[in-house]
Amino acid sequence: MNGCRVLMVVVAAALLMLLFPMTAAGVETTNVTIGANGYIVLNNDIYIELLDVGSDMGWSAQVHFYSYQDSVGTKKTLYIGDISTSYTSGSGMTIDVTLDSAFSNGAAFVIESSKKLYVTERHAGKVETEAVTVPKLTITRTIDPNSAEIGQTVKVTLTIKNTGNGTATDIMLDEGTIAKTYKDGCPSEIDDIAAGATERIEYDLKIGDEVQPGMREMPASVLNYESESGVSDSTQSQSNILEIILETVLLPELTISIDPINYVVTCGDDVPMVITITNVGNATSEKVYVKGDLHPGVRLKGGELEPVYESIKPDKSEEYEVTLVADEEGEHVVEMKVMWADEEETAVFEFRAEKSGLEKYYVYIIAAIPILLILLWLIKRRREYSY
Amino acid sequence: MLNILVLGLGQCGNRILDAMNREAFGRGGAFAKYYTRQKFPASVKTIAINTAINDLKGLVDTRAKDRLHVPHLHGVGANRTLGKRVFEDNKEIIMSEIDKRGAFDLIFIITSAAGGSGSSFAPLLVRELKETYTNAPVICITVLPFREEGSIFLQNAAFCLKDIIDEKPTGVLLVDNQYLKKYAGDIKSAYDKINNTTARRLLFLIEALNSEMLMVTDLGDLKTVMNGGIGIGTMGFYEASKDSTIKSAILGSFKPSGLLFPTNVYKEGARAMLIIKGDKKYLNLDLITKTIEELSVEVGQVFKGVLVQRGRPRVLSLFTLNSVPELEKLYAAAAEAIRFERDRQDQSKSQLDSAFSHIEDLEPIY
Repeated sequence: MNGCRVLMVVVAAALLMLLFPMTAAGVETTNVTIGANGYIVLNNDIYIELLDVGSDMGWSAQVHFYSYQDSVGTKKTLYIGDISTSYTSGSGMTIDVTLDSAFSNGAAFVIESSKKLYVTERHAGKVETEAVTVPKLTITRTIDPNSAEIGQTVKVTLTIKNTGNGTATDIMLDEGTIAKTYKDGCPSEIDDIAAGATERIEYDLKIGDEVQPGMREMPASVLNYESESGVSDSTQSQSNILEIILETVLLPELTISIDPINYVVTCGDDVPMVITITNVGNATSEKVYVKGDLHPGVRLKGGELEPVYESIKPDKSEEYEVTLVADEEGEHVVEMKVMWADEEETAVFEFRAEKSGLEKYYVYIIAAIPILLILLWLIKRRREYSY
Repeated sequence: MLNILVLGLGQCGNRILDAMNREAFGRGGAFAKYYTRQKFPASVKTIAINTAINDLKGLVDTRAKDRLHVPHLHGVGANRTLGKRVFEDNKEIIMSEIDKRGAFDLIFIITSAAGGSGSSFAPLLVRELKETYTNAPVICITVLPFREEGSIFLQNAAFCLKDIIDEKPTGVLLVDNQYLKKYAGDIKSAYDKINNTTARRLLFLIEALNSEMLMVTDLGDLKTVMNGGIGIGTMGFYEASKDSTIKSAILGSFKPSGLLFPTNVYKEGARAMLIIKGDKKYLNLDLITKTIEELSVEVGQVFKGVLVQRGRPRVLSLFTLNSVPELEKLYAAAAEAIRFERDRQDQSKSQLDSAFSHIEDLEPIY
């Protein structure tokens, strides 16, 4: 007998648990679906009435919350993805309501409360449970390379992904552009994109000659689309920065330098100097001629002063050494000129030639020699006649 | 070209030789030797020989290698006996030094008769030179001293001159300081003047002997002249004034004022040589010849040489004499001096002996 009572209690409890779903300790949660113009009563206190379902700016549900001690209540529009909306009844019970999904004539809500929740009354109306398909497009844009010269063409890649559950239709691409650049192969309309599908679009962007070089911002790509149910939506990519640099011209450019050993030399001594011709341009220079101009008083002693090079590649140098001799005292100038195509570059080496230590005294020595000879002669004669 | 050797012996001979060397530099003065060479009229080699090194050092225009010091302290102190010994001891050196100069056509020995080295060397050197250079005439230019220079000098002069004559040189030309002193003021000036005069006349003679002449006289004539008379002679000189004739110039060179030794050439002359130099316009050969012919009557054979040279006529006369009265006086004075000196020496010795006699029998007490 007692056993039967215990079994009945357990069954009853199990039935109650099935009837009143429980949540985790502290927060009670329940899901309810309400048809349009229908309502439910929670805990014989709070009424939740679904006034309308809309899809103008995304799916929404207009809801009227009221209670026995708050007959006026409050009306709220809930959007999918928004944070929960709170309502406190006249008796002090508080619930948090989130729009979980919307249908054409109803909506599903998630209700949370600190109290155990149970639906004490339902007048939910007729709900068609067929789900609404909603496309959601995201677009990203890359430019490769993101640095290009004037006249160059870069590749722009648009990646469009439908993260919604419906096919996106009537997709219109409004692609941002940079002034004086020209798009080649950029569509303005894009085929429908099924839910979960990704569309990749590539087109060439040619940088016109009149574009001002520098950092240029390419405005965002904007996608306007509709769902199959005709709901319009839009999305846009991030903007991109494209660095436009001046066009690189392939030209050889030569420099010539003279590396002297000394700037002050002695007349008659060797004056070695190393002449270096470097192609600092970005193209090979053909037929390079070197011309040397030695001013009077300077002569070439060793080496070839005016060599000819068949070619000098970019970033390559040709180096040769010559030896000069300054015969005259004073400032001397050596002018070396490298010529290629119709261009030329000049290097000037100035040095000073001084008389040798002995040469400085040549005048005195020359003057002293006869005096010395006379003196020696006098000494000789004096000794000849001294006893 | 004649090769002539001129030897200056002793202080006097050295200085006359030095004056010849100076004259050979021309008119360059004291500094001429520093910028020019000597220009002798012939190939003249000179050697100054002395025992007194200071005398050799005092020479100015004679090259060092032409100065030969015969080592004997600082001279022989006018001692001819010592001088002769020194010569004998160093004869090889002296002759060797002479021999280095080569062969000679004419040799002059200049010396004072009064001094030490020169007066003692000269006769001996004459002997050696005659033996060595048999063909070269050896003529001694012998300078006689001031008479008041002292008894030793007079004695030396007397014996030296005798010794020289005894060695029979080609000739002896006398220069008398006593006679020439009157033409200069102080003693030094007198010596300089005598030296220079003697030197110029010797060079004048050498130049004439070595030159081509308008009228020729040569070394042979000189030897003939020097062999005349007693072999003793002297030289005279005259430079014509602007208005003089060549005759007056020739006769001027016979005047006592132009002679180096006092003599009356018209009276004592044996042979003579006249050397006339001058511009051609002055050289009237007829007049010269005529004048010399007139002179020959009085002074014996006269050889003449005429040399055309710029300037007024200058005449050098060279004589040998038949007699030399002045030497009589010199030797008389010398003998007197010797006797006086000997007497004084005897007297002094007697006085000294007398003084010593006071202590003849005494011994020192300490």
